[in-house]
Amino acid sequence: MDLSPVSRESLTLPAPLRLLIGSFALAFLLNLLPWSGLALQLCPDFVLLILLYWAIHQPRSVGQGLGFLLGLFMDVADSTLLGQHALMYVVATFLAQLLRVRVLRLSLLAQAFHVAAILLLAQAIGLTLNSVLGRELPSAALTIAPLLAAALWPLLSAVLALPGLRQHARQFLR
Amino acid sequence: MSALEENFFTRGPSPLAKLTFFSLAAIAIMIADHQLHALAFVRSGVSALLTPIEQALMLPGKWAARTNLYFSDQQALIAKNASLETQIMALSAGHQQSQLIRAESKYFDSLSGVNKRFGDQGTIAEIIRAARNPFVRRVVIDKGSSHGLRPGLAVIDGSGVVGQVTAVGVLTSEVTLLTDKAQSVPVMSLRTGVRALAVGNGQDGTIDIPFIPVGAEIRVGDAFVTSGIDGTYPAGLSVASVISVDRNPAFQFARIAAKPVSGFDHQRFVKVLSHAELQDYPQPDVAPSDAKPVRERGPKRREVR
Repeated sequence: MDLSPVSRESLTLPAPLRLLIGSFALAFLLNLLPWSGLALQLCPDFVLLILLYWAIHQPRSVGQGLGFLLGLFMDVADSTLLGQHALMYVVATFLAQLLRVRVLRLSLLAQAFHVAAILLLAQAIGLTLNSVLGRELPSAALTIAPLLAAALWPLLSAVLALPGLRQHARQFLR
Repeated sequence: MSALEENFFTRGPSPLAKLTFFSLAAIAIMIADHQLHALAFVRSGVSALLTPIEQALMLPGKWAARTNLYFSDQQALIAKNASLETQIMALSAGHQQSQLIRAESKYFDSLSGVNKRFGDQGTIAEIIRAARNPFVRRVVIDKGSSHGLRPGLAVIDGSGVVGQVTAVGVLTSEVTLLTDKAQSVPVMSLRTGVRALAVGNGQDGTIDIPFIPVGAEIRVGDAFVTSGIDGTYPAGLSVASVISVDRNPAFQFARIAAKPVSGFDHQRFVKVLSHAELQDYPQPDVAPSDAKPVRERGPKRREVR
């Protein structure tokens, strides 16, 4: 009888720090690109997406504190009310921490639906805060943006789990 | 092996406690920013950190533009040069005229004691990017407090008013465009002298001119320039031209839509006007506290007592 773990290959070591920093830096650059018009309303929040990924896959390194700091940075970059993105990111990270054990057992597609729910809630917080400030919703496209972002989840998960980027336990335990 | 030495049990506050803490902190920051405007230094500090990243992001575009220029058609360059030369001829003719007019108006101003309108001093700035926020119409320019900018300065381009500097960092500033919902400019019709406000409606390409009576003398095509009555925008800058007038007698006011004359959506350079000459803008003679009716009531109450 084979008592070895079912999928030893899938065991991964914690991602190296440079991968974490690199992915956040790339997401930040993507967010800072000069989006405009409809693309601005539809473009996903890459920083939030990466934050959710690491909050789910590496909860020891990435948590609500980092989400809070990144949110403040995005507030300045997007010239929104200081604290708006911080609140969105903290709530999203908390939900990711709640759901991570469940989400990690699912297929990438099913994971994407969970992520979509989290992103929609974060977007709802942002839209509510803006309507409290008396600003009208510029277009309904803003509510679709989180869904597009969630559609990127399988691709993102596949890329960040590439063997070149992560050390797999198999290489380590051999 | 440091990765494997991570502690097995979680320590520290629970996620819910952290959520409560950070949410309260975020809400406190929002209140401090919105109600008290107390966090301008945080904004300018973080924007100073962001500036090098923004500059780096602009490099590929600049390289592409330079490469394009290098390989561009000689014929196209000659044609562009010729058109620029004719433009300079036309402008310099206008400039000579305006010198005469300026000299005359200076003379009349000295006679009547009216304040000077505005100097053409200013800082040329480059638009780095639009703020990534669909609720507002703002752009970020590459000049900040280290270049002498401060909030409230008017920003123009070659054809008219672009907007106003609203937040200043060390090396960059935010300019709120005319089309932003929170932005309004006191204007005056060039043809009839009707005073009005031009108010952004949050959409690109149009601004509203509200509170004009249905019977007012406004036609499609009328040009509006800044009236200068607020002391923020110097008088006489082009703002917008009327594109539609909807006179419905059922309402008290006409619905007037206008098109901004400045091309801020496709402009790279803008000019931030320095208001050196506007500092002696006439202040109201009555102190604001005197104007309040509360003071008038004060002595009366005492009399009753």
